[in-house]
Amino acid sequence: MDKGGDMGGSAANNSSDFVRKLYKMLEDPSYESIVRWGEGGESFVVLENEKFTKSILPKHFKHSNFASFVRQLNKYDFHKVRQNNEDNTPSPYGPNAWEFKHPEFKANNKDSLDNIRRKAPAPRKPAQSMDDPYPAQQMDLVNSQLMATQQQLQHLSERYQDLAQGHVVLLQQVVQLQKFVKNHDGAMHRVMGFLHSIDAQRRNSRIGGPFGGAGMGNGDPMSNDGLIDDHPASPLQQASELLDEFSAENLPNKELEQMTHEYHLRNDFSTPPNDQGGSSMAPHSDNSSTHIGYPVGNDLDNMVYPVGHTNGIDPINSEHIHNIPYALPTNGMLAGDSMTEMLPEGGLASSRKKSTVESVWGMTKPRILLVEDDKVCARIGSKFLQAFECGVETARDGLEAVNKINNGANQFDLVFMDIIMPHLDGVSATVCIRDIRPTIPIIAMTSNIRADDIDMYFRYGMNDVLPKPFTKEGMLRALEKHLPQFKKNAQFPPSSMPHAGGFVTPGPAHPPLGLNVGQLSAAQSLKEEASPGKSPATATSWQSPNQLQGTSPIGAPSNYMQQQMGDNRPYTMTPTHPHPQSSFPASQTQGSMGNPRTAPHRRVMSDMTGGAPEDHTEKRQRMYPPPQGAFPQ
Amino acid sequence: MPDSTRREAEDRSEEGSVSLPDLGDSIDAVTFEQILEMDDDEDDREFSRSIVFGFFEQAEQTFKKMDDALKAGDLAELSSLGHFLKGSSATLGLTKVKDSCEKIQHYGQKKDEAGTADEPDEKKCLERIEETLVAVKEEYAEVEKVLKKFYGS
Repeated sequence: MDKGGDMGGSAANNSSDFVRKLYKMLEDPSYESIVRWGEGGESFVVLENEKFTKSILPKHFKHSNFASFVRQLNKYDFHKVRQNNEDNTPSPYGPNAWEFKHPEFKANNKDSLDNIRRKAPAPRKPAQSMDDPYPAQQMDLVNSQLMATQQQLQHLSERYQDLAQGHVVLLQQVVQLQKFVKNHDGAMHRVMGFLHSIDAQRRNSRIGGPFGGAGMGNGDPMSNDGLIDDHPASPLQQASELLDEFSAENLPNKELEQMTHEYHLRNDFSTPPNDQGGSSMAPHSDNSSTHIGYPVGNDLDNMVYPVGHTNGIDPINSEHIHNIPYALPTNGMLAGDSMTEMLPEGGLASSRKKSTVESVWGMTKPRILLVEDDKVCARIGSKFLQAFECGVETARDGLEAVNKINNGANQFDLVFMDIIMPHLDGVSATVCIRDIRPTIPIIAMTSNIRADDIDMYFRYGMNDVLPKPFTKEGMLRALEKHLPQFKKNAQFPPSSMPHAGGFVTPGPAHPPLGLNVGQLSAAQSLKEEASPGKSPATATSWQSPNQLQGTSPIGAPSNYMQQQMGDNRPYTMTPTHPHPQSSFPASQTQGSMGNPRTAPHRRVMSDMTGGAPEDHTEKRQRMYPPPQGAFPQ
Repeated sequence: MPDSTRREAEDRSEEGSVSLPDLGDSIDAVTFEQILEMDDDEDDREFSRSIVFGFFEQAEQTFKKMDDALKAGDLAELSSLGHFLKGSSATLGLTKVKDSCEKIQHYGQKKDEAGTADEPDEKKCLERIEETLVAVKEEYAEVEKVLKKFYGS
């Protein structure tokens, strides 16, 4: 009753029109017989429905529709008071009366009318009103989420690409390692074959009396070749044929090279725009192109000089050094030996040591740029360096040095730099070289070795100081200190070095590359050199070990690997496939015809070690001098 | 530091060499021996001979240039020439010539003999260079004689 009281007159305006009209209408006593307050004033009663509709409704509510009136009442939460017909108590207002009530609708309490409100809006309405704020907010939210997702996606795809690249590199390394294993396998077979052939010769000597026994068989294999018409290829030839096939698989190297190069570029590692690209790529493409063509052609002349273009060989480039087929150590007589020579594994270090006892370096010798304006110093310096089996080039001043580095950024492994020189001093030259080769060791070679001088050299990017007058020992110490990777017991073969300075990730990819090239060159040299040398071993019994052991290990694994590679990078291995299939059988046919082609090339095994390099010097222009010494100036 | 290299050179010469002829005290035996070791043939000594005679040529040219620069009073040129000849003479172990060349280098930089203190008086520097040039030519003549004898020409 008193609920509405406190709301008071303050809310007179708040009450609905309809309710006030209703109240006003009930205040009119002339309607008493038609509509009036119920008893107690807590409800109102429509006594004469018809009259109410016809005469009163139009006056107060501008319509004459009782149903609308009732709907309106319902909207304001009025309720019809039900008449209880069941208990037979007749309605006090007559049977046709409509009594309505609302807790706040009372006679004599006009103030409480304010509490009468329309019922809560239809459920549709709030939904619509809520919809409005959403679009702006939600769109922003969704947009930002989308952006974030896109960024994440991009990051992920970038990472994926990096990983994929790394994956491919690793895969290729694995494949190359597998090739190594296979090569090794092949060499083993060859050795087996050799033993078999010796065995067979012993047997032959018993059977083939006319040829003068075992001694004859060994000493003059030609006669054997001529008479036994269906014996297979010499084990050596088979082996080198077999090894040769891997040269075709050298193709991936190019891709690897390109990939790492791209990677290199992508990482934007202070790459000189012109020179680095040209110099590092060109030789490699030379490599691969020769390796593509070479096994197909199977031309022995090519094998003498496997890199087709003379100008493609650079004595200063380790890849080419590897590529020169004769750059084998003195005892690299058997393929097995020469291959272990290339293997980085420590377990094989013993055989490596044997080969280069006198040398500090491993298979690859460092290439030094000696920058010195003084002729006397330059000559003595380069003489010393040559005595250390280093490749040496000299530059007469800083300008020439920078040019030389520019023209072959990866040609050198270390720079000895005089400081005071005409045109461009050594410190300035160092600054320039650092742009191209950020990590190449540059050693100041000067008599100006006061503390502040030395400080300046280091500040401008030099790595060490060799005081003048330099000594042989000092020079060697500096070399050993700054080129540990070239030392023969180094863990990482130096072939990685031309690039190692540039980037980290692709770096590890290079050792196998260098190794592979080296190993292949070994194989090639063997093919040309060794197979005739081994021709005394040719005999009938070779056939079975060769066919059984030679074909199967090659065919199956290479197929397997190709599948592996094809899944990831289709181009990597595809070209290799045809060769194992096409060239291998060819060699067998050739072999069964009695080795007519290899016979003229035969050479005694010892030729390979000492004799070979001299034989071909005219073909290897500007070639890195053989390790035996004898440095041509 | 020139002093340290000199000391080093002296240390090395004290160890001495028995296998080689006496080259006198103006030539550091150990340093020179290094070069002799580079000869493939110890009889004709082609490499070291060409180096040494190349040096003779170079030294005489440099002395001539020094004379001209001295006349022109060109201290910077004198310093640079001194440095140049210092390098090759040091590499051959011609210690006395090297030391004098170093002095000329320092005087040319308007410094004292050791190159540590400044000597602003150009005239004094030129005078000192003139003196040193006379001395270095004598020292050079001595080693030239010894070396030419050694190479038998």
